[in-house]
Amino acid sequence: MMSTPLLYGSISEVFAERSGMMVTAIEGIFLLGAWGGFVGTFLSGSLLIGLLAAILAGVVTSALYGWICVYLKQNQIVTGTAINILALGVVSFFHRVIFGVPITPLTVQPLVALPIPILSKIPMVGPVLFNQNILTYMMYLIVPVAYFVLFKTSIGLTIRSAGENPEAVDVAGINVNRIRFAMVLLAGAMGGIAGAFYSVGYLGMFTINIIGGRGWIAFAICFLGNWNPKGALIGALVFGLAEAVAIYMQSNGSALFPNELFIALPYILTIVLTVTRKSFNVPARLGVPYSKEN
Amino acid sequence: MMNTPFFELRNITKYFSKVVANKDVSFSIEKGEVLALLGENGAGKSTTMKILYGLYRADSGEIIMEGVERKINSPKDAMALGISMIQQHFSLVPAHTVTENIILGNVHGRIDRKGCEREIGELARTYGFDIDPKALVKDLSVGVQQKVEILKALYLKARLLIMDEPTAVLTPQESENLMQFVHEFTAHGNSVIIITHKLKEVMAVADRIVVMRNGEVHGDLKCSDTDEKELSRLMIGRDLIPSKRAEDDESADNHEVRLEFDNTSVVERDQVPRLKDISFSIHRGEIFGIAGVSGNGQQELCEVICGALSPSSGRILLDGEDITRLTIRERIDRGIGYVPADRHKDGLVMDMSLAENMMLKASYGKKWMHHGLLDTNALNNYTNTLIKEYEIKAPGPEAIAKGLSGGNQQKVIVAREVDNGSKLIIFDQPTRGLDLGAIDYVHKTIFAERAKGKSILLISTDLSEIFTLSNRIAVLYKGVIQGIFKRSELTTEKIGLLMAGYDVNKGCTDER
Amino acid sequence: MNAKMRDLLVTNFLAIFLGLTASALMILFLGKNPNDAFGILFSSMFRDKYTFAEIFVKATPLIFAALSFAFTFKANLYNIGAQGQFYIGALIATASSLFLQGRMPGPLALVIIFMLTLIGGGIWGSFIGFVKAKYNANEFLVSMMSTYVALAIMNYLLRTVLMETKHEYPQTNALDTQVWLPSFIQGTRLHIGFILAVAVAIGVWILLYKTTLGYRIRVVGYNSDAARMSGIDANRLYVVAFFISGALAAMAGFTEVNGVQHMLLQGFNPDIGAAGLGIAILANANPIGIIFAAILFGALNVGGTIMGQMSGIPSSIIELMQGFVMVFVILSYFVRSELETRRAKRMLAVEND
Repeated sequence: MMSTPLLYGSISEVFAERSGMMVTAIEGIFLLGAWGGFVGTFLSGSLLIGLLAAILAGVVTSALYGWICVYLKQNQIVTGTAINILALGVVSFFHRVIFGVPITPLTVQPLVALPIPILSKIPMVGPVLFNQNILTYMMYLIVPVAYFVLFKTSIGLTIRSAGENPEAVDVAGINVNRIRFAMVLLAGAMGGIAGAFYSVGYLGMFTINIIGGRGWIAFAICFLGNWNPKGALIGALVFGLAEAVAIYMQSNGSALFPNELFIALPYILTIVLTVTRKSFNVPARLGVPYSKEN
Repeated sequence: MMNTPFFELRNITKYFSKVVANKDVSFSIEKGEVLALLGENGAGKSTTMKILYGLYRADSGEIIMEGVERKINSPKDAMALGISMIQQHFSLVPAHTVTENIILGNVHGRIDRKGCEREIGELARTYGFDIDPKALVKDLSVGVQQKVEILKALYLKARLLIMDEPTAVLTPQESENLMQFVHEFTAHGNSVIIITHKLKEVMAVADRIVVMRNGEVHGDLKCSDTDEKELSRLMIGRDLIPSKRAEDDESADNHEVRLEFDNTSVVERDQVPRLKDISFSIHRGEIFGIAGVSGNGQQELCEVICGALSPSSGRILLDGEDITRLTIRERIDRGIGYVPADRHKDGLVMDMSLAENMMLKASYGKKWMHHGLLDTNALNNYTNTLIKEYEIKAPGPEAIAKGLSGGNQQKVIVAREVDNGSKLIIFDQPTRGLDLGAIDYVHKTIFAERAKGKSILLISTDLSEIFTLSNRIAVLYKGVIQGIFKRSELTTEKIGLLMAGYDVNKGCTDER
Repeated sequence: MNAKMRDLLVTNFLAIFLGLTASALMILFLGKNPNDAFGILFSSMFRDKYTFAEIFVKATPLIFAALSFAFTFKANLYNIGAQGQFYIGALIATASSLFLQGRMPGPLALVIIFMLTLIGGGIWGSFIGFVKAKYNANEFLVSMMSTYVALAIMNYLLRTVLMETKHEYPQTNALDTQVWLPSFIQGTRLHIGFILAVAVAIGVWILLYKTTLGYRIRVVGYNSDAARMSGIDANRLYVVAFFISGALAAMAGFTEVNGVQHMLLQGFNPDIGAAGLGIAILANANPIGIIFAAILFGALNVGGTIMGQMSGIPSSIIELMQGFVMVFVILSYFVRSELETRRAKRMLAVEND
């Protein structure tokens, strides 16, 4: 279940990177999504509105990133970091503006688990797969859809070509920047949902540290999953598992291993995998802004 | 012939800021005609065609098709009118298949892979192209990649095909095949515009020739009405006196051997060998030319000599010393200079100043150090000297490299490598993209260095350059030397066959 | 001064101004008057020696963090792990201080502690360079993750080995005054760490622009292919660059622990890495510019805290200001490159006429 947000985030990152854009603002997008989702849900009482707010927050953030990186062609790593810092500032500042300093932490009702009848009763597998909340269910659909679109449709071919050789796409008469910007917005929307998962879908509350680097893990999963939705799924599951283990171990206080080890586990895992994995599918023009000679 | 031309360009003018790229360019093309757009580098030919194809927008002027004015604002508009353009640098995605490349932007929704592959396979067969629709573009040779580009145009039912320097990357035989295709294509009532600077080609294939110079049209003639000399004059604006070859063509065979390749190969596991059993030697005071179409091992050869690539077997000797295992730096120290084919990538740091670029190969030594710190004064003086000596047009040693013209950038590299290369200098495509003045200068420099007793390895796809400069010539095909000959023993025909891999009786032997 | 320099200064000032203005506008949302708030900010910064000196105290670690990012940036590498290298540096500084204090004269101990911190941070950082060189691992990801790992290590050690003798909170004992970095202006917290930072910044500048090593690093950063063809060993340089970068970030740990905090606790300067990055960008990775930009950020920091104390504006205004300034600086990059292109075109046109 912890894999869900990672999957949302990483699949959208796959699309964006396939078109040539590294969405380094992903951590900020997650944060804004988490916050937007929380605020929306808290103020309206409806999870749906909260979700829409999360998407909106994510898209706005990614639009700023997209404008600067696609159209103004600035350095993607620098811009992403700037936006992440700004996101931190905006969120904590406006949280204060809206809510003041609450005595007790504010909470909302998180997403309820919706067990699918019959299927959820299958021993072992049932509760794990079929007793989840609605966002996780949608995840099951997203992977095959993403795979289909990316590899079996014309738009997918165009996206992939934009990341490999944008000149080819340009010469075919398609606007490269528009495609890239669209992919960045997609990352904003899905990243927003992913962020909201942490605040509204799982914890039911919001703290400034709620994302804690998991946007970056989604980013890493895109790399490690070889820019392929199937790889992203595996990556998300692996990291989700690592995180679940960490949570379990923390609350069940194993005396053998220090707490911190489990907290650090996902990050160590990322390092190990980044070092050992040979990425042979890097889109050739990843991170390079495209400009026509004129 | 129709009364109204197929396509007509009228008073096309284009400025890039205040630089005039095209001025009042006007000409037309009929159906079934082959038009050659001739001119030097920078004459404005590519600009005009890019305007026709919708990549650029003209500042003034009209494009008229069959008597009706059309607005072409993007390649999509051009393609809708049946215009297709094949650029010098192919717009193909190497990681994708032939089919995927051709259908890019031309299919909607779900891709029927099998159906498309079948369709494209049939199309290829119709035109006699031997292409596998499932092949990955990056695995194809450059000549075949060009065919893929052409196929793409045919798939789009192009009626006017624009080709930018199409024969730059082909062997003489492949060029012939291309011309054959052009004849067939135009026989069906289609038209072709070829952008080129090669006079021989133009005379061989064009029906009409438009000569451009400095952004303006300076000649519009039927091929049958003109000759190479006139064309050359229109292109350059004056009569060209070819640079005199060194009068004494005595072979350098009796000089000492300086560079020797001993059965060297570069083979990677399970792959076609990039170099196979290369053996030859270059003497002191000799220019050794290597002819061959790009991609047949020339790059590997250069890299093996300069140290960027390690051979899997064999040895390389410099003045008798085995340098096969030495690092790049050690070889630079031993006096090997390298003027690379890709200037921007391997030869210069575009964002640094000229002085800093001059230091590129000497950063480890004590040459430019003074009390442990960089001696900028000495470096600047040295750079200034070279600027004067080589007549490099630049404001000074602090000028940033990317602000210089291509010819001047090459002069910087040549100046540096000539200084570094005290024993051997490798020139890889040294005059590609340069204007005639710069080409002349580079040739003079090569001769001068030979006179100093250095060994020169010259790699070029320009046969006339090879013939002008070399004492001896080797031909490289698929990583194998097809023969080593004295200049006098070769003709264009023979060398063309060798470049395409035909086994002509190997000429003079190379004494070891 | 030539046009390019002028553009740089003007656009940077403009960016800072716009960034602060944007933050000021946000204050309106709180129902407060931004004029008042900023007025207080400016006046209070100069109100007394202590506050003014605080600016430089805050700037010290920022200089190091920014140098750390800028150094690898020059080699076209991205070291996002400065925060983690800072933690490691702080750990080593604390541990060695606790160990060495009292065993040898203060100044000598300080020098040794400094060396250890440097080396430790360098080794931690060079790991990133090593995996990049050997496995072509993405240094961006590895360095980013290494920060979280460093944080975990620090928290663990604070809870166990390094914990104070009272065992009440996860923090260390206070350092003995012997190993404190002395302050050189009476009545302030300004310690010689600042002088060290400025000296190091100048040293980095000399290294980058006046030595052959710096030259090679810059060549690799601009064009690694040409570097390779010129016999420059890029891989070794990666390791060296990350070593130096890590050492620089670790120095911030030294100055913060021995100069300011005099102990190590959790939640210690958590934004140094990110702020350092921002400063490096603002200064266009120029070591001398970094000194000034860091002072600016230090001022924002102090001002923001004061605004919090006096006007009740949340401290997150600091991040807001930093974030906005950074975004505007990036926009200014765009503006500057446009101006540059236009100028080049004009010069070309003049040539051709």
